[in-house]
Amino acid sequence: MWTRVINRGPGSIDLFRSQLNRLFSDFDDSCAVLGGRAATAPYTNMYDSGDQFVLQAEVPGMSRDDLQIKIQGNYLELSGNRQAGAPEGYKAHRVERLNSTFTKSFTLSADVDVDKVVAELGDGILTLTLPKLEAAKPKQIEIK
Amino acid sequence: MSETAIATRKESMPEKRADIATIAPVVDIHENNEEILLHADMPGVVRENLTVHIDNGTLDISGIREIKKHGAADWEEFGDVEYRRTFSVPQTIDIEKIDAELKNGVLELRLPKSEAAKPRMIEIRKAA
Repeated sequence: MWTRVINRGPGSIDLFRSQLNRLFSDFDDSCAVLGGRAATAPYTNMYDSGDQFVLQAEVPGMSRDDLQIKIQGNYLELSGNRQAGAPEGYKAHRVERLNSTFTKSFTLSADVDVDKVVAELGDGILTLTLPKLEAAKPKQIEIK
Repeated sequence: MSETAIATRKESMPEKRADIATIAPVVDIHENNEEILLHADMPGVVRENLTVHIDNGTLDISGIREIKKHGAADWEEFGDVEYRRTFSVPQTIDIEKIDAELKNGVLELRLPKSEAAKPRMIEIRKAA
């Protein structure tokens, strides 16, 4: 009985930690619904279509000059600076869109052909198309 | 807050699409003597899917976002959503002259005050 409990020790800590994380992520989501997430790094989506990765990021109000993208092998770094900025001579009633400077880095599961990366910015969404290196692409194996 | 400030109003939202979540966009509201200026973050919303509706002192902004998916998702932190928020607009706004612009996923609404509502200095007559 006791040995069992001891054996389960590290595992139960992990369990506790994951539950704690879940608790906080739920909390974070509830904030997002209320709209209080402007100060953090942008939300992202990552897709893998076999030949390429596609990364999307929410960057409302940011222009090309506000964003920097760095790629090396399978390491991707996205940084940006957002100045929502109060207009001159106005009195503020409500300020929910905050200024933020962020850096978010990603480790991709395969190396990327840096020369063929395409970055598009439209309607507040940044879309990065990241073709995989030839060696990293999936290959169909023919059965003889 | 002054009398002319826009206040958020909690009320049931009509025409809600059942299949996607509705979230409130973050907004900034500023005011000067000429107008009330509203900015709302709505990343991914295109002009065709955005409506700004004003009726009987209620301003309703609604934008539907459809995210294009590219293959299997490793992770997804955002998706299709309806941005919706309702405000009450003071009577002093000149509804005819409201201007809306969507740029880089940010809606900018300019709500000019009617001439009668602009602040003015009253001259004091000299006593005879």
